[in-house]
Amino acid sequence: MADNQPVCGPCVSKGLCGGKGMLTLKEGAWTSNPLAIQVLGICSALAVTNKLENSIVMGIALIFVGVFSNLFVSLLRNVTPHRIRMIAEVAIIATFVILFDQFLKAFYWDMSKQLGPYVGLIITNCIIMGRAEAFALQNPPILSMVDGFANGFGYAVVLAIIGFFRELLGSGEVLGIKLLSESWYTPNQLMILAPGAFFALGIVIAIFNAIKGPEPEEEKK
Amino acid sequence: MKGNNAYTLFYAAALGTVCSLLLTAASSFTAPYKEANREAEIKLNILNVLQVPYPEGATAQELVEVFKANVVQETKGELELYRFVPKAGAEGQETIGVAFEGPGLWGTIKGFLALAPDMRTIRGVTFYEQEETPGLGGEIAADWFRDQFKGKKIVDEKGNVGITIRSGGAKGGINEVDAITGATMTCDKVEAMLDEISEKIVQESGK
Repeated sequence: MADNQPVCGPCVSKGLCGGKGMLTLKEGAWTSNPLAIQVLGICSALAVTNKLENSIVMGIALIFVGVFSNLFVSLLRNVTPHRIRMIAEVAIIATFVILFDQFLKAFYWDMSKQLGPYVGLIITNCIIMGRAEAFALQNPPILSMVDGFANGFGYAVVLAIIGFFRELLGSGEVLGIKLLSESWYTPNQLMILAPGAFFALGIVIAIFNAIKGPEPEEEKK
Repeated sequence: MKGNNAYTLFYAAALGTVCSLLLTAASSFTAPYKEANREAEIKLNILNVLQVPYPEGATAQELVEVFKANVVQETKGELELYRFVPKAGAEGQETIGVAFEGPGLWGTIKGFLALAPDMRTIRGVTFYEQEETPGLGGEIAADWFRDQFKGKKIVDEKGNVGITIRSGGAKGGINEVDAITGATMTCDKVEAMLDEISEKIVQESGK
């Protein structure tokens, strides 16, 4: 692990991780946003976004798990036997997911009940697993943490956008505060139900892609 | 060295041990909080079914306080009763809650039955723990299903004890409610557990 140091050595003088930090941050949160561009991990994104509050907590959970699992996968990357690296990744991810779940159960019981199994299911979230496998295994710890944060943040922002509109249109409220009076707005139940989540996610993906413009080179895949 | 089996085994064991130690520590640290939350949740269910007024957004501790101040727990034979007697001038009406449970289609169903002081008239019913199929059997927890029970009796005109959950629609009997379409199994099981508890209530309260 001695080779970690030189890579991140010039952090202080040249910005985060020798300038790579900003790029990583931008990639995760914007140019290859896990939800809006790569369309990964949409299961939980569809399930918990019927309220903004749930979406925010889920986003925080993903940032937390992303940052710490990437950190530890990266720290251990040179000692982990190649054959069992995925098992090791899952063990690390699962540990942080369960820690977060226990924390919610102890201190935010109602939230924990509303999110139901979806916190636990972060273990199998392809964003987290994907970042561990594709990034943390090849990069130094601090940069991996940045990557975990960027992807978690990218996920959280999209979730919050969807959650905001679903709650606003579906129940006329945002964070439980009535914004659209029932006197002239009939809450659209569809937005609370699963199909509404598909519409909302589809529209968000379309908008993201429209702003970002077409893929410059179509060499991947 | 990274490729050999002994090392792989050692690594897996070490990682597993560290992770499980961490989780054990976290679990035992949060255990008392989780326990308190669970207890408050059960109390909250009782308060709801007995229609005891409590401040909105009350914390776990406040709920336990309200519960202590308003609800008296008593045992009658096999039955565990929760009696709510409103203080003079306070809102609410005297109601007795009885806990029941039984097997559902997928897992245990637990709930409370709230009765008027005559021990025959239903004030409400809740199913606070159930794993029935969402959208079908899971509808037992929905307001439309539970609200049907309000005002029904646990004994019909002829003195037969029990509730009838009738598929095809209730025919207006004093102990009949509509079944849930597509959830016959769940309805049968719920009916069975309500019959069982009704039987016990009738035995314990005489006649």
